[in-house]
Parts: sequence; C-alpha cells; structure tokens
Amino acid sequence: MSKSIPPASPEPDLGVRYWRGLDDRSGSPEFQALVEREFPAGASELTDPASRRDFVKLMGASLALAGFGLTGCRRPEEVLQPFGRQPEGYTHGVPQYYATAMPSRTGAVPLVAKQHDGRPIKVEGNDQVPGFGGGTDLFAQASILDLYDPDRARRHTRGGNAVPVVQVQDFLSQAGREAAAKKGAGLAILTDHAASPTRERLLGLIQQRMPEAKVYAYEPVDFDIHRRAASLATGRAVGPNVRLERARAILSLDADFLGTENDGGPMTRGFARTRKVSSGHDPMSRLYVVEPLLTLTGSSADHRLRLASGQVLLLAAAIARELLPDGEVKSALAALPAPAGVDARWITECAADLSAHRGRAVVLAGIRQPLAVHLIAHALNASLDGFGKTVTLIEAPAPAVGSLADLAKGLDAGQVETLVILHGNPVLTAPADLDWARAQRKARTVVRLGFYEDETTEVCDWHLAAAHYLESWGDARASDGTVLAVQPLIAPLFGGLTEAEVLARLAGETATRPHEVIRATFFTATGGQSEDAWEKFLYLGYLADSAAKPVSDAVIDATAVSREIAVAPKPVVPGKDSLDLVFTRDAKIDDGRHVNNTWLQELPDPVTKLTWDNALLVSRRTATELGLVNSELVRLQANGREMTAPVWVVPGMADHTLAISLGYGRTKPGRGASFKGTSAGFNAYPLRMSATPSLVSGAKVTGTGETFRLAVTQSHWAMAGRPIVREANLEQFKAKPDFARNFDLDAHVGHIPHDANGRPKRVYQHAWEERPDELKSDIHQWGMVVDLGGCTGCGACVMACQAENNIPVVGKDQVLRGREMHWLRIDRYFTGMAEGVRNPLVADENQWKEDWIDDPQVVNQPMMCQHCENAPCESVCPVNATVHDAEGLNLMAYNRCIGTRYCANNCAWKVRRFNFFDYNKRPIDYAHIKDGMRGNLYKGPLAKRDAADQELVRMAKNPDVSVRMRGVMEKCTFCTQRIEGAKIAQKVKAGASGDVQVRDGAVKTACQQACPAEAIVFGNLLDPGSRVSQLKKQSRNYEVLGFLDNRARVTYLARIRNPNPKMPDFREFPLSIEDYQRLYHSNPFGAHGAGHAAGDGHAAPAGAAAKGGH
Amino acid sequence: MSEIFPKWTNRLPGLVLVGGALASTAALAGVWYYFTPKYTRVGYQPVQPVGFSHAIHVDQLGMDCRYCHNGVEKSWFSNIPAASTCMNCHNQVLAQDPKLELVRQSYFTGEPIPWVQVHKTPDYVYFNHAVHVNRGVSCVHCHGQVNKMEEVSHAKPLSMGFCLECHRNPAAYLRDPKDVYNLDWKPADPVAHEAAMLQVVHDWRVRSSENCSACHR
Repeated sequence: MSKSIPPASPEPDLGVRYWRGLDDRSGSPEFQALVEREFPAGASELTDPASRRDFVKLMGASLALAGFGLTGCRRPEEVLQPFGRQPEGYTHGVPQYYATAMPSRTGAVPLVAKQHDGRPIKVEGNDQVPGFGGGTDLFAQASILDLYDPDRARRHTRGGNAVPVVQVQDFLSQAGREAAAKKGAGLAILTDHAASPTRERLLGLIQQRMPEAKVYAYEPVDFDIHRRAASLATGRAVGPNVRLERARAILSLDADFLGTENDGGPMTRGFARTRKVSSGHDPMSRLYVVEPLLTLTGSSADHRLRLASGQVLLLAAAIARELLPDGEVKSALAALPAPAGVDARWITECAADLSAHRGRAVVLAGIRQPLAVHLIAHALNASLDGFGKTVTLIEAPAPAVGSLADLAKGLDAGQVETLVILHGNPVLTAPADLDWARAQRKARTVVRLGFYEDETTEVCDWHLAAAHYLESWGDARASDGTVLAVQPLIAPLFGGLTEAEVLARLAGETATRPHEVIRATFFTATGGQSEDAWEKFLYLGYLADSAAKPVSDAVIDATAVSREIAVAPKPVVPGKDSLDLVFTRDAKIDDGRHVNNTWLQELPDPVTKLTWDNALLVSRRTATELGLVNSELVRLQANGREMTAPVWVVPGMADHTLAISLGYGRTKPGRGASFKGTSAGFNAYPLRMSATPSLVSGAKVTGTGETFRLAVTQSHWAMAGRPIVREANLEQFKAKPDFARNFDLDAHVGHIPHDANGRPKRVYQHAWEERPDELKSDIHQWGMVVDLGGCTGCGACVMACQAENNIPVVGKDQVLRGREMHWLRIDRYFTGMAEGVRNPLVADENQWKEDWIDDPQVVNQPMMCQHCENAPCESVCPVNATVHDAEGLNLMAYNRCIGTRYCANNCAWKVRRFNFFDYNKRPIDYAHIKDGMRGNLYKGPLAKRDAADQELVRMAKNPDVSVRMRGVMEKCTFCTQRIEGAKIAQKVKAGASGDVQVRDGAVKTACQQACPAEAIVFGNLLDPGSRVSQLKKQSRNYEVLGFLDNRARVTYLARIRNPNPKMPDFREFPLSIEDYQRLYHSNPFGAHGAGHAAGDGHAAPAGAAAKGGH
Repeated sequence: MSEIFPKWTNRLPGLVLVGGALASTAALAGVWYYFTPKYTRVGYQPVQPVGFSHAIHVDQLGMDCRYCHNGVEKSWFSNIPAASTCMNCHNQVLAQDPKLELVRQSYFTGEPIPWVQVHKTPDYVYFNHAVHVNRGVSCVHCHGQVNKMEEVSHAKPLSMGFCLECHRNPAAYLRDPKDVYNLDWKPADPVAHEAAMLQVVHDWRVRSSENCSACHR
C-alpha cells in the first residue's frame, strides 16, 4: 500500500537535537517508518488479500446463521439483589476509602485505598501522614493487579496436594507447641526484610519462649546496608533518614535514590521540591552523580560522571581527602589511589561546591557500593554539617537475626528440623554458591508462606498461600519510623494467611486472628487499651508522634570508618577482556517478585524503555570493541558460570561495564511472564555469589551472532526534529525568564497578524469564538501543567493511569508492533555533545558508533492527549466520535467510533491508541510470536481466555470507566470520570444554589495524584486562584508544537539545569540548546532575531531553507 | 426463445424494482418503529418475586420515596431496599402474611430477593441520580407516576433522545426541590412555571450538559 506523505510542517526532520534511541540516530528505515506513520508497518492495514476475502466469507456465513429472529431485540432480564439486612454506612455506588499501607523492605508507602462495592480498585498516597506529601511509587499503583492475579497461590498445599486452611492452622499450632516443648531446638525461621512492629514483637516472643529457635533474614536486594553503615559509622544503633528537600548540593555515589533505591517516593518528592523554580532567584539544588550505569538519578543530574563501579570508592575517597579534616580517616584514605581517568578538577570543584553548601549538602551512597563507600559518605555528611539537617539519624535497633549463609551452614550441619520461610523466594534469589535448593532439602519439614507457587514452593513440604496486603491486617514502619496501619479492604480471595497469624500460631499465642494480633501489638506499643486510639489509628492510617527519635549527638567513629576503608575490596579497572558485571534491582519487577504483574511488565523501563524482558546493558564503546550489535544474544561468563542474554546499548554507561537486572528468566513463571512455558527475560541469579552480590569483576562476553527481539518502545510515537522539550541553565533563566517562549515559531509571533486585542490572530476560527455563550462553559475550563523540572521519569503516573482507566495489556508481540495502549507515556530524550559530528544534518548509519553520544543529557517528558482547543483529530473524524465539550475536554465517544483511525493519523502528538483486538477478552500473547506464526489474538473468538481468570481480572476494573472493545480509538480523557464525579459532588452540595464551581484540588487526575514529584497539576483555568492558573502564568510555561495553533490545554514548564561553571564538564548551554543554536542559527536567550544569519529564513535551520523553510 | 421467457417477464424488472422499494420501505418503517426504546421499553412490566405495590405504600400510606430508596440523594444508583427495611414495619404489620414469606426469608437468611430490573441504562451510560434529585429534577420525569403503579412498569423510553429533551431545555422540567419526591405535583400554569424556572436555571447556574462527557466516560 503506498502512502502519500503530507507536506512538511515548518520544521524539517533534522539530525542532532534530541534523539530517542540508537535506531533514531542511525536513521534506520524501520525508525523512519515509525516516525512517518502513525502505526508501525502492518499495524494499520489488512494487506493479505486472502485473509480479507476469508473475513467477508465468514461474516456472511455468520450473518446467515444468526438468522433474522428478533430474539436479540429485548434486553436480557437482569435481577437486582439487595441485602437481606442493610450493612451500616454502606451506600451502593458510593466508593469507600480506607487508610492502609503497602509494606516495603525498609518502610512502607502510606496509602488510601479505594473500594468499590467491596473490591479494592485503586490506591493513592495518604497525604495526611506527616512527612509524606501524597504520591506513590509505581509498585504501589501496580499492586492492585497482584491482588487479582489468576496465577497467585490460590490454595494451601502439603506435598503438592491441596489442604484445607483449618488443617494448616492446626499444623502451625502443633508445630509451635512441639517447638516450645523442645525450647525451639531445630526450629529456624527465615524472613524477608520488613519493618513491621508485629513481626518484631512475635519473633521476640518466639525467641523468648523458645531460646533455641533461630531467626534469619535474607533479601537479594539489601537496603539494610544503609542502617548497617550508619550504625557502624557512628557506633550507635541508628539509621539514616535523608531529607532531600533541605539539600542544595547533592553528591550521589552510585545511589539511584530517584529510582531503584528504597523509598523512591519521598526521595523524589524532596528532590523535586528543590528543582521546580519559579524564578531564577529561587534556591535550587545541584546534583552530582557518579555511577557506572545510566539511572533515573543520573538522568536528573547536573553533572554526571560515568565511572566503573569499583572506581566509585576511589572517587569518594578523593572527595573525602579534599573535605575531611586531618585525622585517622584521612590518613586511612591516603592509601587509596586516585580514580582512573577522572579529571582532578571534577573532584576538587565538586568538593568545593559541597563545602560551600555546608549544612545543606548531602552525600549518598548506593546499595551496590561496598560498606566503605557508605562510611565515607557518612564521614563526609558529618564534616559537611549535614547530620540533623540533610541527614537525620534515627534510632534503629539492629535486628537479632542471622544471615542466609548461617542458615545454610545450620542446614548442612543437620541442626534444622523445621524451617519456616516467610515470603521471599530463596531458591531463586539465594547466592549461587550456597546451592540453596539442596540446602533447603536438608530440613525435615519446610513450611513456606508465599504469594506465588514458585521455585521455592517445589522444595517445600507445606506451602501456605499468603494474603495480599490489601487482604491483610498488619502494621509497618515508614522510613522515618512512623507506625502505619495495614488494614484489609477485602477478605482474602483464596483464603490466604497473613504473616501475623502464622507467627502468632508458631509463637503459641492464644489470640491468633490477625486482627487481634495487630491490636495486641498496637496496645503494647501505646501502653493502653484505648479503643478510641485504635479507631483513630485505623482512620488516619498512622500513629501520631510515633516517628523514631532522632539521634542528635552521634559522631563519626573514625576507627570503624578507617578499619572498613582498609578492608575494602581493591578495585580492579575493568578492561575489554575483564569486564565488570553489575547486578541491579529491576526498575519494574524488583527482585523478581513482580514478574507476573503484566502492568509492570509492559511499562517501559524508565531508562532503557525495554518491556517484557531484561537485557545485558553495555556502553557504545564496549559494544563496538567487542563487535556486538544491539539485540545480539551473547554468552556471558562470570564467577565461573555462564548465561545467555541479549545486549542492549545504553548511552551513558561506564565503559567495560555490563549491567543486568535480577528476577527475570524464571523456571516457574506465572502465565503473565511466559509464553508456552518459556519465561520472559534472562535469569542472572545463577551468576551471583555471596561475596559479590552487586559487582563481579572479570566477566567475559562473546557474541553468538543470533538475535533476540527486544520490545523497546523508545522509538514508538516519536516526534522528530522539533524543540519539543525546552530547557535552560539557571543563569540563562535568570537573564531571560521567558526563554521557553522564544523557541521555534513561538519567537515569531511579532511577525504574524494580530487581532484587535493584540493577541495573535487565530489561524482557524474556532466554533467557540463564534458562539461562546452556547458552546463554552463559564464555570469550568480544564487545563494541566507538567513541570519538566520536577519530572524524573519514574513511571508512577503511567501505572496510575493504567489502573484508573482500565487500560489493557497487549503483550510483547503487540508492543513489537507498536500497539501498546498506554494513554500516558514518558518520552525519554537523549542529547549529546555534537561538535564531533561531521554533518549534523545527516543522520548517517555510523553515528551511533561515535563517541559524542557517550555522555548524554537526558530529559523525560510525560506525553498524553494535549486536549487542544483546536483539535486536529476532531476535524477529520467522519462520525463525530471525537468532539469537544464545553469545558475544554477533547472527548472520545466510543460507541460512535468506527475505527477509521483518521484522528490518530492527524494527531501531531501521537497520543491516540487503537484497540486492534479485544485485549480484555482474548488471551494475550506475552511473548514475541515468530514470523509466520499467528498469536492467540489472531484467532479471534476461537481463542478463549479462561472464564474464571477473566472474572478475577475483571474485578480490578474501575466501574466508572468504560472497558473499550476492539476497533475503537481511545486516549487520555483528563480522567473525565473524576471531573464528573467532582462536579456532581459539588452540585449535590450546592442544591438549590449557584455554588457549582469545583474547588481547586477537589479533582485530581490519576497521574497527578500518583506523581511523587508533584510535577503534574490539573485544575480549572477559570479560577484565577487555582494552582494550574498560577503555574500557567509562570515564564517557563510553553506549549508543545504551539506553532500549529492548536491551543493545547496541556502545557509544560521548561526544565532548568543548574550546572556548576567551575566544573570541567561545564557547558554554557544545555546540549539541546547547543544543537538548537547550531541548527537554527538562533538563540532563544537573545533578543528576537539575534544570531540570525543574513539571508537565512527566520529560524530556518541551515540547509532547511532549500526544503521550503516555513 | 419466446418459449423460455414468456411475455410477462418483460414486466419483471419493474415489478422487482417496485416490490423491492416497497419491501425496503416496510422494513425501514418496521425497524423505525419497533426497534426504538419507545416500543421496546415503554410498558415493560415484569412480574416481581414479591407483589410489592407502590400504590398502597406511597399513594395510600403516604410514604416518601426516600424511606426505601435512601441512596438516591447520595449515589448514582437509587437502591432497592434491603429486606431489613421492609421488616422495619412488617415485623408488626402483616407479620405472618404468606405474600411476604420471601421478604422474611431474605431478612433471616440473608439470601437476596431477586427483584427483576425494570429501568436500566446501558453500561456505557453513567446516569447519576443524586445530581438530578438534589437539583430539582423529580423522579416522575423518568419513572412516571410510580405512586399509582400496582406493579412497576417502564413508563418512559429513557433513550438518549429522551435525556436530551430535558437537557436542552431544563427550565421546563425543574421544580422546587421540596416537590421533587411529590409525584403528583404539577405546575398550575406550565407556561408561567417555565418562565419562573428560567430564572432558577440562571441562579443555580444549571448547565445541563449536552456534551458526550456528561454521560459517557
């Protein structure tokens, strides 16, 4: 099918500027196709003539079979079933909200969960909890789907056979009694990490009643290192609580605090508050990042140094030598060499900047770094006067638990009769040298509480199905120590047990119902029996004034720090034949625990934009030296073991460093993470040893020449060659606050006709302007602002949108065809230092192999329907399915849509999504279907999704939003259901009065509410006091593709960078601006016209004039 | 050749044309009339499991709609009362009546009474009761005079056109909120009432939306 290309819009498709992926740089035909068409090849046409004919035949036959009977005219008879006895306080159709919390390893995310007719369907951050301003991370948003996961453990088993729950309960009580009789000899309990007062109390009880019983804890991703380091550094039982909102200079030593570290939500919020400046004189933080891989934190950095993982220690030492006073620590540091290949000025100037911000500076070390780096960071924080200011040390007693290695020894020695495993999946995640599956078999009885029947289940005698946190009574401690309530919104769907009950039975407690157990803990902690206090605790979701006590008099224990520095592993400089291999926590599936969550699987990784798989990440140089190309399957050897994985080149990786995330390539995956038994991704755990949990040196890689197709969304929906993301350095922002409106044609409004009011005359006369009284509401006009300064690209908004708006998962095969359905995506743009480019106007094949892409700057931009007042989609819809409403929303009437997809083709932002299949009804192809094969989706009604499963998944759906069927277009609706809900609530309140305007803040879109950075603001533009109106007045405000005169209701606040002019890698302008200046011969920071070369068209890029300019 | 095609076949194309036109007109007219909500829904009166009479309860005894349908002011949904609501009176009144056996059973066992749904909007229509009754739209506009019905029947078509009729001209349908549940109330002078309600539309800032987003999400 030939396709006529419409005339070029004012900006030609240019070379450098922003690029989205390496395909983009190389100008590959595949990428060009993606840019030019709305949908990738084959996506929008039925090309196979035979299948078209078959289709018509089938349709004819089915029409004939259906006959002409009118039986279908009457609606089916349905019954309404009211209660026998009305429950108190329940009104059908009105959702209920409960405060709860999602436990994490070292804290919990305080939540308010929404329950619709008994089904929890959405969680939001609990903004009432002090220290948490609302917002969630993406795991909390996606956790709703876990609750309704058809593959979760749905039965209790003994020896693989289902047993009723009473038998399990009896067994546990019996085991508790037997253990108590022997004072606990032979009983071992292995837990994951969690901060739960009840767990601590019950484990304490067990150890008290059974002194011989042993407790162990293991986590493959160990955030406890922060507590250990703080305790070691000060000699006190303390943990750190970082207050980023107070920091003005931040140095991250491989600490991905915006991404894969713990507590991503509060950290992001604190950081973002220092980055959203309204004027050039607002205080703004500066972020230095040293890291081996490109992370979200590195993406937000003002100065980023890519450095092999081992070298980070040397860099930390070099900085510390600059800043620490003479003494024991400094002399211990003297033994360490300078980091290889780092400009000394980077170290001195960074240190000087930290020093200049005493009391407002903070140094953070990441979990992948050894203890020595953490201790140096603490020593630095102490000397920078950060303790009590940017880092609060809080009381954190060390748990009295053994390690997994201790337990393995005990098992080998035959000391363990009964092993109780609470959560975790040690058979998968234990270090390979422990050979855990074998060790676990040594116990006579293994009892395991787990959410999935997974790898560990196979080596268990008893497997107890665990309840989801939304089904459980529990408690947790937030990162600052505040006690949070975990309360159930639904009875366990499959009779799952809670940890509280299991432990209470083992401990021999008489009250074993989870509710009683948690209450007992609460009353023990508060020292009373006040029913009111308990009710208040549940109502608020937290216990007031329960935050851990800050320790203000802690000082650095120089001896301990020096000792740890002395024993730190000697860093090896990696080379081509001896590569560094770094294991990372996956940004989406964590350590593998979320592997079956299809929402998370389909969410593009925030950095690589990979979906449905993990890959071996390498730098451009490493790939070139080893002769590898993107997506090539390689053999990776490390620690004497071997695995296969596809490579993926990521700009900004340290050279000779490989990175792979954990948790993929499972032997017992659920259906969501596998296709015909083959698991998604590649398992890196077998390469991981106790001694080297994060970093392995001496890894080798050999190419196999085979290709593995990775579903990467970075080149989908691209908008080529236009100043879409706008940014400036702080100095330029000071000098020219309205620079964001000085790009592109926006800078040329002086040259276009104006109307009587002095505003640029509209290109199109909008119907609104002809009949405003009739067509335009005088009460509400909705709009949104997205602050690119705050956005870190974490993806919580995408998950929130998916949960709120019933967005289906399409599977890897469909993602490869460019059919992912996310209404809101995060566009990640790289910019490079382009002076090395031979010809910036030509995107040639070899550019991605050139060194100027190695240190990119990154910008993330959430992109959703812009709700144009003058929407191009509306004018091309032949059936009026997409129309405008009086309040400025661009609507989709699904029932009118006939699926021409004209609207998507005419959308300049590429935000419309088409349902190519009944993704809700059909079994999804979670893997790539080989060419020539047809996936399940293509079988139509012949491929049925299991009815019971479907029923379960259906429970997660939001009843306020239509579930779309095949053949209709959909897109962001500004959460119209929430707007209508808020309007109705206000009208009900107003009754017989005119007070119908919704208060600012009463309606929040799902993305806004989930955003931990508070970067998305939505509201009524007619209310001059609303936050969105205020933000739109900011000088950073600009419209994407504003020159099209579409009058988008979504506008963006330009990003401001805050580089240090003294740093060796300082550039006067952000790299995107350098490109802009080079290509357009125009300077957005000068007066209009400055820098225009004589004879050039206005702002027309060099070489573009020949193509027509504008 | 004339043996094969007799003379009358010459008229065949004309007959086919006329016949086809007639048949398709008839089909169109048939669909036009019989397939609309006005025909398919109005008058629908299923037999309910319990012979509850609105006429007795509301018209004779003077009960308010909201005694049973107590969610109507708070929720999008106007609830069918739980058996416990019935039993508030019927544990005294007609306590042993066999016609109420199902109600008592439901109350004591919790087994719901399977009331047959009469009024139903399609799944893609998000009608909200609360916003209408709180802002002066009476039950009677959509449900008819339920207070006179022995057995509930579908009185109005509840088609999209029906909704829009009111949304396009709300003044004709609004009333004082105190009369919302008085299904017998009629304006003494409809013309004067509509004129008065025009002022109310202005004062209450009634913007009965004609946009898709009002009902479809």
